[in-house]
Amino acid sequence: MNAWLYLHFPHLLLDYQQALQPPEAAVVPTALIQTRARQQQVVQANLAALQQGIRLGMADVLASTMCPQLQLRPYQEAQEHRVLTQLAQVLYQDIGHLVLTPPHGLICEVRSMVQLHRGFHGVVQRLHQRLQQWPLRYLLSSGYSPLAAQLLGWAGCPVVSEHATEVKQALWRLPIECSGLPAEQIAKLRDVGLVTVGALLQRPRAELGERFGGALLHYLAALTGELIPPQSPYHPPDRFDEKIELVAEAQSWPQVMFPLKRLLQQVEGFLESHQWSTRGLLIRAHHRDGSTTQIKVRLARPTWQQGELLQLSQLHLARQQLAQPVLALSVRVLQPEPRQAVATSLIAQPATKTDELTGLIGRLQARLGEHKVQQLHTAMDWRPEYQGQLQPWQATAGQPQVTQRMPRLRRPYWLLAQAQPILRQQWQLQWGPERIVSGWWQADTIQRDYYIAVDRQYRQGWIYHCSDGWFLHGWFS
Amino acid sequence: MAFPAQVEALMQKGWLWQGQVAPPQQTKQQFISSGWPELDEQLGGGWLQGSINELQIQQPFIGELALLIPVLQRVQAATLWLNPPQQPYAPGLSYQQVDLAQQVVVQEADPKLALWAAEQALLSDSVQLLLMWHPHLSAVQVRRLQQAAHAQQKLAFVITPWQSSEEARAYVNRLQLSRTEQLQVRLLKRRFGWPLPPFPCSVDKLLPRRRRIV
Repeated sequence: MNAWLYLHFPHLLLDYQQALQPPEAAVVPTALIQTRARQQQVVQANLAALQQGIRLGMADVLASTMCPQLQLRPYQEAQEHRVLTQLAQVLYQDIGHLVLTPPHGLICEVRSMVQLHRGFHGVVQRLHQRLQQWPLRYLLSSGYSPLAAQLLGWAGCPVVSEHATEVKQALWRLPIECSGLPAEQIAKLRDVGLVTVGALLQRPRAELGERFGGALLHYLAALTGELIPPQSPYHPPDRFDEKIELVAEAQSWPQVMFPLKRLLQQVEGFLESHQWSTRGLLIRAHHRDGSTTQIKVRLARPTWQQGELLQLSQLHLARQQLAQPVLALSVRVLQPEPRQAVATSLIAQPATKTDELTGLIGRLQARLGEHKVQQLHTAMDWRPEYQGQLQPWQATAGQPQVTQRMPRLRRPYWLLAQAQPILRQQWQLQWGPERIVSGWWQADTIQRDYYIAVDRQYRQGWIYHCSDGWFLHGWFS
Repeated sequence: MAFPAQVEALMQKGWLWQGQVAPPQQTKQQFISSGWPELDEQLGGGWLQGSINELQIQQPFIGELALLIPVLQRVQAATLWLNPPQQPYAPGLSYQQVDLAQQVVVQEADPKLALWAAEQALLSDSVQLLLMWHPHLSAVQVRRLQQAAHAQQKLAFVITPWQSSEEARAYVNRLQLSRTEQLQVRLLKRRFGWPLPPFPCSVDKLLPRRRRIV
C-alpha cells in the first residue's frame, strides 16, 4: 500500500500573492525571479505568463523581451516558508502527520488517516476539497515511501494510486536526472549506462555500494521505504499571529478585504485544529513609517466561524478612518478558549433565543461601539444610583439577579443620570418621606429624604431633599 | 337604527364597511392586549402583532411608559430600548415584574445609525418589542420600519413629541397622549375605525396613588 502522499506547489508564493488580490489581477502576466548562477532566472510564473511562452529557468531579460507587459517581482524564500506553514495549518485539519519539505512541498502520512476518511481515496478527496478553497496550482502524488512520492511530484508525473505496483512502474521509467541525487553522482551513474531510476534499482545493492559508496545505499533504502529518514512532523502553534504583506499599497479598507478574508480563513483553521473559539481579534494595519493602526474586535459570544468573524470585522473597520496607506496586515487571535458544548435540552427554544440575542448585540456593538449597547444592572446598595445602573452589555446570559434579595420597593421607572435642582413650590408632595442614609464607607455618602411629588403638568416625580436643597431624581411615568 | 333598504342590502352582502368593527378576515390576526380594556376596545382587540405604532406625547414622562408596562410584562423575548430620554431604572421595572435580563438599551446619537439599529432589532428573531424615541421620522423611514415589523411580526412603538403636521405616515395606530388629572388618549389613526377624540385611560393604576398630604 502507498502510505505517503506528496503535495507539490511549484508556484506557491506567486499563487498565494495572487490569491490576496482581486481576481482581475490574475490576467496580468507575472513572474518571480531569483539570482541563480549569476543571472536572474524566472522561478515562478502565473498562467497568463506561461501562456505567453515564459518558461521556468528563463533569464529575466529574455522573459521581459518576449512579453513586454510581464511584471517581475523578486522571489522571497522566507515569505514562501511562511506560506507553507500556513498551508500546513489548514491541512492539519485533515491530516495528522504532516512534514514540511521546503521550499514548496508537504508530505502527508496516509495510513493512519485511512480509517477516518474511509479509504485511501477518501483521504485524497478530502485533500482536494480542502485545497479548493485556495487558488493554488499543485500536484498530488502517492508513493510507498516519502522519497518515491516526492520524486514523482518533482518530475511532474504524479501517480495517485493505492497500489504500489503503479508507483513502481512510473518510478522505474524516471530518467536518472530526476532521481534527486547530487549532480556528480548522476554523472557517474550515467557514465556506466544507468540512465533510469529503474536501471539503478535493478542492480544488486552490494555491488552498487562497493562502487558508488554508502550514500547511494542510504538513498536506495529511503526510496524503497526500508528506511524512513528522520522527520520532524508539523505541530500547530498555540497562538495565532499571522501577517500578510500586501502586493500593492492599500488606500482604503475595501482594498484589504481579500487579504483579510484569507487571514480569517486561517484563523478558522487554527481554531478548528485546536477545537477552540475566540472572544476577540486584533487586526493591525502596518504603515510605511512603521506605525500601525490597531483595531480590536471584541465578540459578544465566542466563535470560530470565518463568516461571522468577517462580518463583525467589517463593521468594526467601517468605524475607523484609515489615515495612511497600508503595506501589511496582521491578525492575532485574542483570548482563545475551549469550545463549550451548548447544553441541549428537550425544549431548545430559549437557548437559541439567547444565542441569537448575543449575535444581535455583537453586531450592534461592532457598528455602534461597545459602550452604546447597555443592559440594566442591579446591585445590593441602598443608594438609588448604585442600586440600578446601565452598564455595557456583557454576555453572561441567565445571570442570577440580585434584586430578589433587596426588598421590593416602589421605585420610579426612570432615573435621571444627574439629579436636577428644583424649586420646591412647583411640586406638590404626595407620599413620603423615605429617608435613605448610606454609603458612609465610601466617599459618596448620602443622606436624603425622598418624596413622590406631582409637578404642575400632573407628572409624578421622585424628588429628594438633602442639605443642598431639593432635587428631582426620577420619574414615575 | 334602521337604514334604508338599499343600504341594508349592501350590508347583507358585506360590501359596506361601517368603520367600527374589525373586518371578519382581520379578527383572526393576533392581537396583543394593551392591558387597558378601554384602549383595547378602541383598537379592535389590542396592539396588532407585526405593527409599528406612534405615541405622540405632549411632554415626556406623562405616563407613556406606564401605558406600555403591560406589554413589557407580557413579552417573552428581548426588548430593545432605543435612545430612551433617561436611564430606565431597574428596581422600578423589576417591581412591575419586567424581566431585566431581556432589556437591551441602546444610546446612539447618529440618527442614521439609530435607524440601522432599529431595523437590525426588528429583523432579529430574538427581539420581540422595540421602543424607540425619536423626534421626527420621515414617511420613508416609517414605511421601512413598518415593513420590517410586519414581515417579522414584531411590535414596535415610536415615542415622539406632538407632531404639528398632518402628513400621512405608515403607522398602524397613532395615539396622542396628554395629561390632566388622568392620562388622555386621542386616537389620530387606527386600523379599524375612525379617529377618536380624547378619552381617559386608567394607566395611573401602575403609578403610585395620587393623594394629598395635609
